[in-house]
Amino acid sequence: MSAHQTESVQSLYEGDQSKLYSGVLAHHGDVNSTESKSQVKRIWKIFWILLAITVAEVIVGMFYSHHLNAGVKAFFFLALTILKAGYIVAVFMHLGDEFKNFMATVLIPLVLFVWFIIAFLADGGFWLRMNDESPARNTIQHVAK
Amino acid sequence: MSHTTVVTAAKEPSLWGGGRSPYNVSYGKMMIWFFLLSDALTFGALLISYGTTRFFSSVWPDANEVFKSFPFMGHSNLPLLFVSLMTFILIMSSVTMVLAVHAGHYGDKKNVAKWLQWTIVGGICFLACQAWEWTHLHGECGGLWGTFTDVNTPVEEFRHFFGGKSLAYVDAHPLVAMQSTHNFFNYFFTITGFHGGHVTSGVIFNILILVNTVNGVYERRGHYEMIEKIGLYWHFVDLVWVFVFTCFYLL
Repeated sequence: MSAHQTESVQSLYEGDQSKLYSGVLAHHGDVNSTESKSQVKRIWKIFWILLAITVAEVIVGMFYSHHLNAGVKAFFFLALTILKAGYIVAVFMHLGDEFKNFMATVLIPLVLFVWFIIAFLADGGFWLRMNDESPARNTIQHVAK
Repeated sequence: MSHTTVVTAAKEPSLWGGGRSPYNVSYGKMMIWFFLLSDALTFGALLISYGTTRFFSSVWPDANEVFKSFPFMGHSNLPLLFVSLMTFILIMSSVTMVLAVHAGHYGDKKNVAKWLQWTIVGGICFLACQAWEWTHLHGECGGLWGTFTDVNTPVEEFRHFFGGKSLAYVDAHPLVAMQSTHNFFNYFFTITGFHGGHVTSGVIFNILILVNTVNGVYERRGHYEMIEKIGLYWHFVDLVWVFVFTCFYLL
């Protein structure tokens, strides 16, 4: 890299930083190039995958939701939801194309949700059991009636 | 800063030594990711509180019973069909958005404008669907928030929200079922309302960047990074809907 180029990069840092990372220094490619076309093809492929997953979810939700065991149903829907979310984040939001360290910076805080969900749902379940076993519940219902 | 120091710094590139982004991401893009991260925690908190309430309720309204109407179809039983249409519209608008971002990467002004227009159309269609659904449920509940609080409410007014095996429980404990109905709709309107607010602001942002694109603001700037940033927000809104769809309509 010559001194002249270095200087222009430096002036970019002091001005509009986004130019550094948006490919402006490398010039825009041709929108009709094979690379561009394969990227568009990938976008449509992901669209069809997302559509197929949604259709599968709706069919199961419509016709089989009363026949499935609650745990199996929850696992089925949550697994497909996370799969859909993964495709949206990785391809549509281009997180899959970012540096691995940046992916980790964005995704690791979300691990908190694992604890969050377990703790709160367990608490909900505890309250249900306590309410069901509590004699006070019947008294309240009696007074209300 | 003297000229010499600049050259020396460039000759010894250090990833974390300043002067460059170790993640190869601009400041604005990184900050929109962090904003979305915090927004994800907000939506997560809302959905988890919904789940907690559902877990401590003995009985809960059945989505196949609550959401079985379709515009202009009268009283026909079409569970989940309308919300599937809404989901399809939002996925489709996500595709048009990512195509606008793609065109932006190649500096293709005409296609950026074209795909942004379709994204705006998709967003408005989604909001129209939501307006219909809210109006319909407003009619069913006699309000939005804070309905089903009167202990003298006849069970017939909320019995039709339940289905299958839970009906026997509803008949035996109508007040417990009424409380669940109250909680269900409060969460439904809060969470879909918060999401709808995001869609609304997303549509406004999209209109603003469309105007800028057509006026050549990004062409003069030399890059279309703003489309990427608004695109990230728009995809996030779609992402949240994926979870709302699962929590309210499927589970």
